[in-house]
Amino acid sequence: MLRKKGLKTHDKHIKKLAAIVGPKEILFHKEELISYESDGFTIHSHMPKAVVFPTNTEEVAEVVKYCSDNDLPFLARGAGTGLSGGAIPLNGEVIISLVKMKRLLSVDLENRRAVVEPGYVNLKLTNSISDKGYYYAPDPSSQYCCTIGGNVAENAGGAHCLKYGVTTNHILGLEVVTPTGKIMEIGHDGIPDAPGYDLLGILTGSEGTLGIVTKITVRILKNPEEKQTVLAYFDDVADGSQAVSDIVSAGIVPAALEMMDKIAIEGVESAAFPVGHPKDIEALLLIEVDGISAGINEQINEILDVCKKRNVRSVKVAQDDEERAKWWANRKTGFGAMGTISPDYLVQDGVIPRSTLPEVLKRIGEISKESGLRIANIFHAGDGNLHPLILFDSRIPGQTDKALEAGSACLQACADAGGSITGEHGVGIEKREEMRFVFSDKEIEAQTDIREVFNPHYLLNAGKLFPSPGRCAEVKKELKAAE
Amino acid sequence: MIISDLISDLTSMLPDSHVEEKSSPNQFFGNDGDIIISPKTENDIAAVLHYANENNKKMNIAGNGTKRGFGGTENKADILLSLSDYKGIIEHTVGDMTITVKPGTPFQELQDYLSTHNQKISLDPSHPEEATIGGVIAANDSGPKRLGYGSARDHVIGLRMAYPNGEIIRSGGKVVKNVAGYDMNKLFVGSMGTLGVVTEIVLKLRPLPKYESLMLLTFEKESKEEIRSFAVQFLDSMMEPVSMELLNPELAEKLTGQKVLTLAIAFEDVESSVHYQEEFVKNMKSGASQMTILAQQEAKEFWKRFNYLFPNGQREQNGLAAEAVVKVGVKNLDVIQILKESDWLEDAHNVSVHAHGGLGHGLCQVHLQGAQDDIIKAIDSLRKTVKQLNGYAVIKHLPLALRQVIDVWGGKPSYFFLLEGIKTKIDPKKTLNPKRYVGGL
Repeated sequence: MLRKKGLKTHDKHIKKLAAIVGPKEILFHKEELISYESDGFTIHSHMPKAVVFPTNTEEVAEVVKYCSDNDLPFLARGAGTGLSGGAIPLNGEVIISLVKMKRLLSVDLENRRAVVEPGYVNLKLTNSISDKGYYYAPDPSSQYCCTIGGNVAENAGGAHCLKYGVTTNHILGLEVVTPTGKIMEIGHDGIPDAPGYDLLGILTGSEGTLGIVTKITVRILKNPEEKQTVLAYFDDVADGSQAVSDIVSAGIVPAALEMMDKIAIEGVESAAFPVGHPKDIEALLLIEVDGISAGINEQINEILDVCKKRNVRSVKVAQDDEERAKWWANRKTGFGAMGTISPDYLVQDGVIPRSTLPEVLKRIGEISKESGLRIANIFHAGDGNLHPLILFDSRIPGQTDKALEAGSACLQACADAGGSITGEHGVGIEKREEMRFVFSDKEIEAQTDIREVFNPHYLLNAGKLFPSPGRCAEVKKELKAAE
Repeated sequence: MIISDLISDLTSMLPDSHVEEKSSPNQFFGNDGDIIISPKTENDIAAVLHYANENNKKMNIAGNGTKRGFGGTENKADILLSLSDYKGIIEHTVGDMTITVKPGTPFQELQDYLSTHNQKISLDPSHPEEATIGGVIAANDSGPKRLGYGSARDHVIGLRMAYPNGEIIRSGGKVVKNVAGYDMNKLFVGSMGTLGVVTEIVLKLRPLPKYESLMLLTFEKESKEEIRSFAVQFLDSMMEPVSMELLNPELAEKLTGQKVLTLAIAFEDVESSVHYQEEFVKNMKSGASQMTILAQQEAKEFWKRFNYLFPNGQREQNGLAAEAVVKVGVKNLDVIQILKESDWLEDAHNVSVHAHGGLGHGLCQVHLQGAQDDIIKAIDSLRKTVKQLNGYAVIKHLPLALRQVIDVWGGKPSYFFLLEGIKTKIDPKKTLNPKRYVGGL
């Protein structure tokens, strides 16, 4: 393990936890814990009590049981790539890191399913079955390092979920350790529609607040026979967004339909994977169609026609896999690329009904002007999932707060357009207050009611996902409990 | 409280809704009520719930009654809330491909309307003319095209639910991708009306396919190995069937006139792609002895008949004969064994068996007809096989008398305490659809 010092401690909890997972599988010295203070949402941080690295389900259950019995807050963590702060130990939690539970347990090609441990990295699954012609569909941009356990917690999406759905559509079964340390299996053998309320559905996307997933049965898909990718450059954002609507209205369901605006293009072209996009265009669309080879050209021609009708400046089809891979690398590293044109950036994640795209983009432009901060837009245009990237410099006093305010205003704009405050990054700590943009107190209470069923002592990942008690009904609940 | 008082209470409270006494509650399928209320507004739905909850009245919920024989061990509750008058389209945003509807709208009515915009709800539930969208959602129904379409849970993006205390709770929204808070939609879809009454449903839509066809394959030897080997080979190809449904000989006979184990493979895509896939199947070394292709309208007609093969809760039977529909979930390829088993059931228990199952997803439906005792025995036998395959069997349709002697849900799962916890949290007085669900919830 990473630890340089021995297991010298007077803390009885640390001793006991070390006894469960083994003395080499626990970190508790301050200097060892620093990298666990936050996750991909770096604006917030807090020190954990300790980090344990269980290697099997029984150890997870034992750690959980111990924490639960001793009133120790705890939470689960995968690769720590989450963008909303879901794995930040707000209450000095014991972090249960699942990175050592990273095995691919079985692959059943005939029945199209695979069983993985939660620490297994998303892209590894596709890589390990691609020689047989299969893949795992959810493809968040961080897929080269994020874990499938984390994907379940966040209900992760990705560029290709327009056609294939998000994580929840690909989870067939889960083994879960409940917050009181019971091990349960839901969706036995990955057979769909197990009788009873859809616990798979409610657990997926619960951001690690209802249980800790220790085994995941996922659906795997056969590779599409053919894929074609189109890159289209527009001089007007409105033309680009209209083209998005036209493609969908033409009855085409692309595998992916991505858009980037001028500032985003400036970023990706200055970063590690430039592809030579013209710098003076206002928007680009990256469109991928896949499926049966015999039907692809017809769809591509229709897409080219739509783009031409919408005054595209130029449009091209990827000539080979290499060119396609280049385009995707350019897109998938888009967030990080902002680091080349700005000292800091904040990623937002709103969703809007597709038809409101032009008006919401206009509003985001206004927010940028009002805040004096540049905002780049990279988004999954096909399903209306926007990622405004707010560029700022944390060294300038007050700019971080301004960026956070601008981010919140973007989410308000999405909510006002009938949309949502998060499409794939989760609420975490980042968007707790923004939950009020879309849900009433009663509706938030309906959700915390469900949390109470699973997480009665509220020791697992407390303080996430929901607004802190204030105006909210949780106050009333606490008062009631105190009576 | 006597029924007339209940009626006068509710009538004065709900001047716009129809309230009447049910002279003879449905003895055959149960899940009925002493009085029937057919509200026309969400306010009225919420008011009835609030009233029932406050006054400790039990309430059953129904659409058009096609699932009247699904779950439940009681003949009647105090109130039957019928949503059949609460219907219509609230909003259809063509460009966003989303639609908001009221729960009592018959499924086919929605599809007919959407087809004028070249769109559809990507679902093919049974009895689409009668089944309401609310019922389809409550039961998380899916049909033979599950492989390509998914089930109701995959298409619901937002709901308004009237909780037992009369509060309206929204879940999800109007966007196709949304992870704000818990995915409460999933909890309500398939909950059989035991958590709340759905008052509004937002669904995502898909474009109508430009072309469709159906291939019917029969096999020389009708052996398990032969079909398995074909299925494995085909599933390993890059073809994209929306259905790969195996039909037992009795069921095939009703649809094709030929009493032989038949594999129905459906394609939906642009025409060139569909024909390309048909050619692919023809060129496979399949051991298939016969291949028929039904194109476009013919394929649609086939599926239409398919959707009406099995009984629903609107129809009662006479005499001692009974019918059961069992939903079986197993691993994909174990479907072959379930279909073979159903042939055996026919001989062993003197029942007639019509069965089909999807080789791409593992869900089967087995329709049994026969004397009540024989049906019970046949279900027990089927459950033994299913258990060996690690699957489950839920009885989707059965007369009340038999539901009172056999657990249609097949027992409680190990995590029942969570299901019970959820029910207790939302419906502590057990007002809604009492004893309708898993473990008597």
